[in-house]
This record gives sequence, C-alpha cells and structure tokens, in this order.
Amino acid sequence: MTAERIIVVKNRAGIHARPAAELVKTAARFASEITIARDDVEVNGKSIMGVMMLAAEQGAELILRARGPDADAALDALVLVVDSKFGES
Amino acid sequence: MERAIAGSPASPGIVIGPVHLLRWEVPEVRHAVVDAADVPREIARLHEALAATRQRLLVVRARAEAHAGPEEAAIFDVQLSILEDVELLSRIEGLIRQNIVAEKAVDLVLLEWRQSFARHAQPMIRERERDLVDLHIRLLSVLLDLPDHDPVDLAPGAGAILVTHDLTPSLTVQFDRSAIAAIATDEGTRTSHVAILARSLGMPAIVGLRDATTRLRGGELAVLDGTSGMLIVNPTPAEVKQYRQRAVREATAAEELAREAKGEAVTADGVRIVVRANVDLPEEAEQAATSGAEGVGLFRTEFLVVGRPTMPDEEEQLRAYRRVAETFAGRPVVIRTYDIGGDKLPVGGYPTEANPFLGWRAIRMCLDQPELFKVQLRALLRAGLAGDVRVMLPLVVTVDEVRRTRALLHEAAAELEAAGVPFKRDLPLGVMIETPAAAIAADTLVKDVSFFSIGTNDLVQYTLAVDRGNANLSSRFTPLHPAVLRLIARVAEVGAAHGIEVAVCGEMASEPLMAFALVGLGLRHLSVSAASVARVKRVLRGVTESLAAEAAHGAMCASTADEATHFLRQRLRAAFSDRELAALGLPGIRVSDAAAGAG
Repeated sequence: MTAERIIVVKNRAGIHARPAAELVKTAARFASEITIARDDVEVNGKSIMGVMMLAAEQGAELILRARGPDADAALDALVLVVDSKFGES
Repeated sequence: MERAIAGSPASPGIVIGPVHLLRWEVPEVRHAVVDAADVPREIARLHEALAATRQRLLVVRARAEAHAGPEEAAIFDVQLSILEDVELLSRIEGLIRQNIVAEKAVDLVLLEWRQSFARHAQPMIRERERDLVDLHIRLLSVLLDLPDHDPVDLAPGAGAILVTHDLTPSLTVQFDRSAIAAIATDEGTRTSHVAILARSLGMPAIVGLRDATTRLRGGELAVLDGTSGMLIVNPTPAEVKQYRQRAVREATAAEELAREAKGEAVTADGVRIVVRANVDLPEEAEQAATSGAEGVGLFRTEFLVVGRPTMPDEEEQLRAYRRVAETFAGRPVVIRTYDIGGDKLPVGGYPTEANPFLGWRAIRMCLDQPELFKVQLRALLRAGLAGDVRVMLPLVVTVDEVRRTRALLHEAAAELEAAGVPFKRDLPLGVMIETPAAAIAADTLVKDVSFFSIGTNDLVQYTLAVDRGNANLSSRFTPLHPAVLRLIARVAEVGAAHGIEVAVCGEMASEPLMAFALVGLGLRHLSVSAASVARVKRVLRGVTESLAAEAAHGAMCASTADEATHFLRQRLRAAFSDRELAALGLPGIRVSDAAAGAG
C-alpha cells in the first residue's frame, strides 16, 4: 500500500531540531517506509539528520510518501504533528 | 615541565585540589581494516558504543536538568535523537561491512555528516554541527577506550580544578558546583563569558592559560590562585601550606568586607555614590541583593536564548524578569534587551558573519525582527508591575533606534491592553553607551532617553579596535587608555547637563582603581559584579570626590594607559596605607620604566 500527502510547514521557526525529532519519533512508530521530499531532495522520514537537512522553514511545501502495511495511518499521524505546529507558535 | 603556568586572573580566590582535565576534542583515528570474519564483532562493538553513549547522554541530560533546568537540558534531546538515527546506523554498518574497523567507520560517517551540516545554506542547520561534534567525540572516546573527561563523573565534594580549552554552553549547563571548585581555561580574557560566569558564581578562575590543557595530564594536585592568575602544578608541601594560610587570610578579609557591604557608599567629602550589581541569571539575584547592591544596573537577558533550541516565550521571560524585580523590592532593576549576535548566536536562521562584532546584532537584530522583539517588550512591560523595572537598549548608535523601540513599546502596550493583560505603562527607557559614536554624539540621544549606562567592555573594544576575546591581545585591552577616559567624561558631562542618570555597568567599574577613576570622571552610579560591591564601596568611602576628580583629570591627560594607571595608583596611595591597598587587591605600586615619568 502506498500513500502520498502534500503539507505546508505552519510553525514560525520551521522544522528545526526539536520538531525534526518529534517528526522522526512519530514516523518510527510505523512499519511503513516513509520519505519526505522537498523540491528534488528526498530523505528518509525516520532519520532526524535527513529531516533536518531539508531545512523546511515556515511555508515550505513537503511531500510525504509512505509504503507499507500502515501507510495511511502513518501519514495521518505525521500530518497531525505538522499541523499542530509541534506545540509551537 | 614548568610547575607554574601563568594566565589572566579572572575571578579571585585560592583553590587547592586535583586537576580535572576536560579535553573536548575529536580524537584521531587510524585507518585499519578487519577480516571478513571479524565484521560481526565490529558491528557488535558499534552497538555497544551506541548504547554506552546513550547511557552517558541520559546521565548528562539529567545532570543538566538538575543544574540548569529542563530548557537547557533540551540540547541533549537532539543529540539523543541523532544517536538513534537509522541512517547514521546503516551508513556506519555499511562501512564496517566493507571491512573497515568500527572507530574508523564512525569517524568517516560523522565527518561526512558534519561537513554537509557545516556547509548547509541554512545557518540553523550549520549551528547543529556542534551536536554532531559532541557525538563524534563521545562515540570515539568509547570505541577507543579513552578516558572520559566528562565533568559528570566527578563526585560531589571533589573540589576539583576544571581545566579545559574553552567553556562551551553544553559544558556549562552540566556544571556541578559541589564537584568543581575552580575553573582554568586556555582561551578567554577577563571579560569573556567564562570569566563573567565564574565571578558571578563566586568561583575562583584563571583564563588565557594558552596551553594548560596540553601540559597537564589530569589528576595531579594543583593550586589555582585566581587573584594572581597563577596555576601551580604539583606544589611542594611548603607551597601548599603557604597557600592554605593565604586562603585563610583572604577569607577573613572577605568576611570583613562583607560586613562593610551594607549601607550606602558616601565619599569622605559627602558625595553619595550608588552601587548596583550586574546580574547574568535570575538565580544570581539573591546573592546580588545580599552583597549590598542597591539594585541591578545590568540584567543581561542572553541566558534566555543562548544554546537553546527555541526562543523563550513571553511567560518564561516574564518569570525571569519578575523574579529579579521582586528580589530587589522596589529598587531599580535595569534590564537590557537581547544583546545577541556576535559571540552569542541564538537559535534559528541567523547568518554567520565575517565580522560579528560589527554585524547584525543587539538592537539592530531586534529592530529588524519586531515580532521577536515585541515578545520581550511585552514581558518587560508586564514585569514592570513587580518592581522598578527599567529597559536598556544595547549597541545604540543613533537616536532613530530609540524612537523605533519606543514605537514598538507602544504597540506592545496596545496588544497587552487589547488582551486585557495588566502591565505598567511608561517604563524608563535608556541606552547603553558602548560605541564611540554613542559617546561622541551623546547629545543627540539625551533628549529621548531616561538614562545612559556606559558599557565599558564594548566601549574599550570598539574604541581601541581590540577584540576582548582574543587572549593574544589581553595586554592591549586597556580601559584606562586616555581615549576611553575622555569618552566617558564626555558622556558624564552630557548626562549631567541634561539631568539624566549616567551609570557605568561594564567590568571596569568592578575594579577599585577604576571605580575611583570613574567617580573622578563624574559618575555617581556604578554597576559591578556582586562579588565586587563591598570592595568598591570600601574604596569610595576612603577617598574624597575632589581627590578622585584630580586623579581622573591627571589620568585623562596621560599619554598612555600605563601612565594613567600609575597616576591613579599614586593618588590612591594618598588615601590608603599599603596594607589597605593590598586588602583591596591593589598591591604596592611598581614603578615601571614606561610609567616612571608620569607621576
């Protein structure tokens, strides 16, 4: 099963270290392979260093992709984390 | 090996204890290959090292949380997440499977990651390279079986002398004061972060030792004399005895001073001088209040930002400001808005600059990011209800910066009003005078502000073009240079002519000799480190204002800082005996050749 979503980073500080850690922690809960792409760079969604390297600032558009048994559930959870602004403003 | 290593005295006091050497450097790793049969063993070593490092970080994290709070400890959460990174693991394992020994595989992968972080277009990512360096050091130290110099292993009560190259924020937050009694660093000067920190904690320290970390092995007994700046390694029993006696004498003298700390400082001819304290952390406020300080002349707010993964919100700032204002119950507390940039880069997307001290920092950075600045201004307005809070702007060079800040203060007030949040209107707004521009053109600022406060560290640095963090230049960092004295006199004059308060809040005011000179230049408000309040009051009570004025005039007319120092010391000698001068930390006058002609 594969799934794909497009999201926009909403928190002001963007996906810096702490949000990246939160994102990765969420991704790690799922069995599916997860990637996050920005423009032509695609990284492993379970790697904090990969996610940090995207340097996604507020307003950046990201494509989340998942492949595996729980692909849809994984992307639902990730979208929720990004949309909640990682508990920031 | 020479047994005595000389540095710059940074915080007074004598400590006799074991050297705790903290070498925070990436160890060198030799390239080595292993047989295919040994690959599983190397992979197992890697996993053991990852687990050991993780354990270590959990301990460090807990320590940091206990000593510095949960926000500071968050640095280590990021490091823990990186340690668990699946990509990191698979890449290192990949190299080991190509028959590379575990430590070299770790080394290569971390170097590669560090490079891509360090070269990233986003400064926010570049900043994080520091976390990778920390992990690089930790993992290799475990794999190479190197002694772990982490300060977390020191037993409480160890009374050790921490010797390190430079004190970084990730080391500072781990500090356990019951285990570490003194600090010595290769880098730094009297006015760098580590020296200021040590003085505010009342911890003896020496900085600028240049190569102490390479000359020491760790574990040896040493004497650290923070008053003279000497580190004596493997002292003889006679030396230990001698220093013990001196430590007792200094402690007695300190007690005597403490008794004099209370009460006002009035010169022998009846001029009242207000002595306030400089405060770096809210936790220091109580110590400052009991030291006899009549308020806070400089509350630095950088601790809220430096080394943090996120900016502090309004509530966190409010708690910090309120705590200090309440501790000083109604006495003035001058809070400086963020002086970030330069050597204190905050989190977030900030550029690395070729010349940070002349760059986008302090009030410049704040005014260019009004949304960020207004959070601080709102917190300050709200804290105003807790006491006599005054707002001070750093690095101002034009009155325009004051006017734009005032406009933002009005906006912040309107926002609070709209939200129904109580706050104090019309907080006094003043500026730091720390550039030649602000000093020379003080008259262009004076009508728009409630007070001036001269920041001597930066004023000296910008006037003399001497980097205050550069250990090679420490002898050229001379606050008594005639150019500096003349600028200070000019600011005092402008302030007096317009009836506004002029204070000095730089490190300079903490030195008895300099405090004497500053009063002579017309200053009536000094803000000094808490540890110096009593000594400054004592020297001011012992002199007349007219003597100080005469001495300051002579110093201003000198042609060099040495001549000025010599002249001031001679005048001070008229008021104090040699014994009294020694008790003030001013030993007898040495007439050097350079200064011989000045008196």
